[in-house]
Amino acid sequence: MSGIVAQYETLGATRAAIERLREAGHEDLEVFSPFPAPELEEAMGIVSSPVRRWALIGGITGFLTATALTALTSIAYPLITQGKPILSWPAFFVIMFEMTILFTGLFGFAGVLFHTHRSRRRISAAYRETFSVDRFGVYVVDAGGRKRDLEALLRDAGAVEVEEVTA
Amino acid sequence: MATAEFDVPGKALPSLKDANREISRPITAPSWRFWFLIAICGLGILAGAAAWANQIRNGIGMAGINNPVSWGVYIVTFVFWVGIAHSGTLISAVLYLVRSGWRTTINRAAEAMTIFAVMTAGLFPLIHLGRVWYFYYLVPYPSTRLIWPNFRSPLVWDMFAIGTYFTISLVFWYLGLIPDLAVLRDKFTGLRKRLYGVFALGWQGSVKDWSHYRRLYLYLAGIATPLVLSVHSVVSWDFAMGIVPGWHSTIFAPYFVAGAIFSGIAMVITIMIPMRWAFGLESYITKYHFDNMAKLLLFTSLIVAYAYALEFFLAWWTQDPVEKESFLWRAMGYYTGPFWVMVFCNVVVPMSLWFRKTRNSLAALFVISIFVNIGMWYERFVIIVTSLAHEYEPGGWGIYVPTTTEILILIGSFMWFFFWFLLFSKSLPVISIAEVKEHLAHEHEGGH
Repeated sequence: MSGIVAQYETLGATRAAIERLREAGHEDLEVFSPFPAPELEEAMGIVSSPVRRWALIGGITGFLTATALTALTSIAYPLITQGKPILSWPAFFVIMFEMTILFTGLFGFAGVLFHTHRSRRRISAAYRETFSVDRFGVYVVDAGGRKRDLEALLRDAGAVEVEEVTA
Repeated sequence: MATAEFDVPGKALPSLKDANREISRPITAPSWRFWFLIAICGLGILAGAAAWANQIRNGIGMAGINNPVSWGVYIVTFVFWVGIAHSGTLISAVLYLVRSGWRTTINRAAEAMTIFAVMTAGLFPLIHLGRVWYFYYLVPYPSTRLIWPNFRSPLVWDMFAIGTYFTISLVFWYLGLIPDLAVLRDKFTGLRKRLYGVFALGWQGSVKDWSHYRRLYLYLAGIATPLVLSVHSVVSWDFAMGIVPGWHSTIFAPYFVAGAIFSGIAMVITIMIPMRWAFGLESYITKYHFDNMAKLLLFTSLIVAYAYALEFFLAWWTQDPVEKESFLWRAMGYYTGPFWVMVFCNVVVPMSLWFRKTRNSLAALFVISIFVNIGMWYERFVIIVTSLAHEYEPGGWGIYVPTTTEILILIGSFMWFFFWFLLFSKSLPVISIAEVKEHLAHEHEGGH
């Protein structure tokens, strides 16, 4: 399978290129950016990231773990301290709160690692080191039989460099 | 507002390429000056470590803590460093959520400061423990005869709060670093390329990856905000949960959080001014940033001043003789010196920040920030020591004076903190390259 990668110098041109490609029916795109660019996500039609589900599951797991940890250990060895009841929920809430936050963050991070690594092999052939400096890249993963047209389209949108890539 | 950020008179707006080059410029083989500073830090750390080793060998009696003042310099310094750790998350998370653009160039270094400050703070409970090998009693597992830790204890809350804070701060910092590590990977060759490459985790800046990144960054900012408020609240409850006069107060949590942000911002200013000068980052960290930090310092100083006044008001309002005596003694008793040093450094000196002239003078800001650092250490000393020294029974009153061991460990802790910061400043970009580029690109393209 061979594709085409084009380099752009501005956010505006990259956005225009993505929009034109999608209009022409090329939905299988990868776009590179040197900085976070919500505009490009919007142009690509990315609404949200599955990381939010990871974070939610993490938060719930953390909360339940802490509830179980504090309550079950207190029940297993019922020793009254500080004159408080065996199940001292206000005191335990501090632990639950902290563990909810801890697990949300860790699960979310695991989610980012999982989702970014899954796509890595597919896109790395098109990666250029200029993408970490000041250029944007638009990679049409499967150019099919219309390479000429595609190249013309990408250049017309303002590409400064267009190359073929064999994955 | 956006244009004020990188507005340096007589200098053109940097290009994205400039941002890459100029921000990663300090990452080179260090000069003798760097090694000289490292050597000073190393000596300080050695002195502190020797004092600690001596204390472990001869017992906790090497420190001045005893009845009735059983919490001394170690706990004071612990609270001080936890406080310093707060500004990093405030700048990264809270200012991110409220979309304050001026955080962009200072968040990386402030977050690094947070991590190193927690690493420093974490040492003090261990040092204070005396028998440091028993620290695992706080870890939540049935360590002795199947007894679990007491989850009703503020000290166990502390363990959870600070453990979570350290972990989440580290994840937050590292997530922000990943794209910048990819920049360094692409810039260097050979061993350094491979090393930065490993930590960049194969980052290629795909927009899909950025969407995951942005989502998590937002969530981390969202959870770090209540977290940062909870951490110093929990630390304050170490005190407020006890029935010691001067401690047992409901204002402690907000009072401590405001104080933590106050001291943290001061430390950011103390570190940023020399760093900006040493690395030539004048185009990125501008007077605009310092002006904003100074305003934040002034604002938190007012909150702290209000809390000081309110404590005295409450002691009078409750008409509790023990509480009244405790506060009168705090201001006019044996520890009157530390008390007025605290008031002078934290309330009087920062009032000069009402004037734009002071806020725009880096020299003045640097001096004020040092005053605040000193004042905030004294604040914790005043709260902890004067309260314990003067509880209910006159027969149980006593005086505490720090010993050489404690002072050496205190100095060692500063050196330990600066040591890590120095290593960071020469091996990682001290400003977030990706975020600076985002701002610059929008300004170059005429503000999207």
